[in-house]
Amino acid sequence: MKKPSVAITATKESPDAERSTSKKMLAMTLTDVEALYGTFRAVNKVSLDIEAKSVTAFIGPSGCGKTTLLRTLNRMHETLPGASVKGKIEVGGTNIYDPAVDPVRVRRSIGMVFQKPNPFPAMSIAQNVASGLRLSGAKSKGSISEVVEQSLRKAALWDEVKDKLDEPGISLSGGQQQRLCIARAIAVEPDVVLMDEPCSALDPLATLKIEELIEELKTRYTIVIVTHNMQQAARVSDTTAFFNMGTDRGGYLVETGPTTKIFTNPSNKLTEDYIAGRFG
Amino acid sequence: MSRAEKTPTLIDFSLTAHDIRRRRVNQIMLGVIQTMAILAVVPLVAIFIVILSKGLPSLSVSYLLNAPLAEPRGIINAIQGSLVMTGIAIVASAPIGIAGGIYLNEYASERVSRLGELFIDIMLGIPSILAGLFVYFAIVPLLGHSGWAGSVALTVLMIPVVMRTTQEVIRLVPAGLREASLALGVPQWKTTVFVTCRTALSGILTGIVLAISRGLGETAPLLLTSQSSNDTAINLGQPMSAMTVVIYQNATSSDPQIVASAWTTALVLFVLAFILNVLVRFRTVNNRVV
Repeated sequence: MKKPSVAITATKESPDAERSTSKKMLAMTLTDVEALYGTFRAVNKVSLDIEAKSVTAFIGPSGCGKTTLLRTLNRMHETLPGASVKGKIEVGGTNIYDPAVDPVRVRRSIGMVFQKPNPFPAMSIAQNVASGLRLSGAKSKGSISEVVEQSLRKAALWDEVKDKLDEPGISLSGGQQQRLCIARAIAVEPDVVLMDEPCSALDPLATLKIEELIEELKTRYTIVIVTHNMQQAARVSDTTAFFNMGTDRGGYLVETGPTTKIFTNPSNKLTEDYIAGRFG
Repeated sequence: MSRAEKTPTLIDFSLTAHDIRRRRVNQIMLGVIQTMAILAVVPLVAIFIVILSKGLPSLSVSYLLNAPLAEPRGIINAIQGSLVMTGIAIVASAPIGIAGGIYLNEYASERVSRLGELFIDIMLGIPSILAGLFVYFAIVPLLGHSGWAGSVALTVLMIPVVMRTTQEVIRLVPAGLREASLALGVPQWKTTVFVTCRTALSGILTGIVLAISRGLGETAPLLLTSQSSNDTAINLGQPMSAMTVVIYQNATSSDPQIVASAWTTALVLFVLAFILNVLVRFRTVNNRVV
């Protein structure tokens, strides 16, 4: 069985010469990150870099730990009973797993959008978007209603809901609900937005809208997306990391690199097999 | 080749004697079940008719508002007593019940949670006279036969109702909502209060209405604790009447006027219980999905 490989930083190998210096900034650096449920190691040592203001995709077959790893990035994994994380994740020079760091603060800067849209049913559309601001105590730049409008515009939802901001959040369609969740996540002005298979519960038209949205959002936020859909990863991401399940049923990182390279000329045979659809 | 040669053998669908017997058995059983259902409803309809016919003649606004010893007599002491004691009991039991239900579901470990549930279910099933007996033994020596003692007895009976209902509705709140809140950087306690409880709010309110309904209907524990009084001033340190107790005491009296007051009190109680029940049903039907 192949040993987990150390990742190559995408930027240094990037053939994209026009990349400006600001894009070479790293938003997050993972070093030997492991995720456990009790004693079971769901994710084996992963080391990789997440580039700022770009889209990084985690792909791989079911059960290879992509979602588990994603949830370690904003300290959500440990909210499950018995779950723990080892290793280091550095954001802006600080290890977010340092004992002195407050996980609640981490989650304000690293937001998450889930697979199944989950707007708060007891709140209206406007209240949903504002909920992060109101409840987490984050300071807003403008008034609440201004932030609500801005976030809904950034999430490409404003035109569709501007006349019904007081209607319940759950009265929208699936795709709209997901964009509402995205608006809610970006209303607290995070640096990173994590997306766990955001389109898997949506129809193709809604999926297309969200993919277009991701393309716009990456100019402002760093995005890490877990997806089962290889073609989606090829469409939206700049960097792709391929994971696989080992014989111990734990996931490990096989290869990571610029999306174009991973999909046309991967270094690892396993990657090539997965891309070609020979397994997974 | 003519078609007649290729005709397949038909299945015989005609009625046999067995079928006819089966149909008759079906009809008999249906009749039996319908009769049983009607029988089940008869007592309720009978109660309703009897209470209405016996209680309505004496019913008037002055009857409701007058003291039992005034001329003409009234039942204000009973109505006040019930409302006051149930009111105090719900103010005490609602916070305890809600907090307990939240704790069991959100913060307690699996084992503690299951033990807690078992305990509440036992508390729910306790015959109310035992609660009265407990308060008679433990509280009455300290506070005497009083409105306070009656309120304590009702509280003991109402806490499990609120706690159980709260726990059930909070459990129905999808985990995805809690996760969404935590992922926004909202602290755990705010998630519990402003997301989980807010979503389950209507169910929690239903639990409170159910508890009030129970409190208004209890007789035995009040007989042992608050007993009764003809006083119209609300004096919690003294024995206090309640509608249920008044019905019990007055129904067997030799004075027809006093008996009439029992019936009228019964009517008021019945109407109150009916309204509360309809309220609960209305809330439950409309808010079935959290």
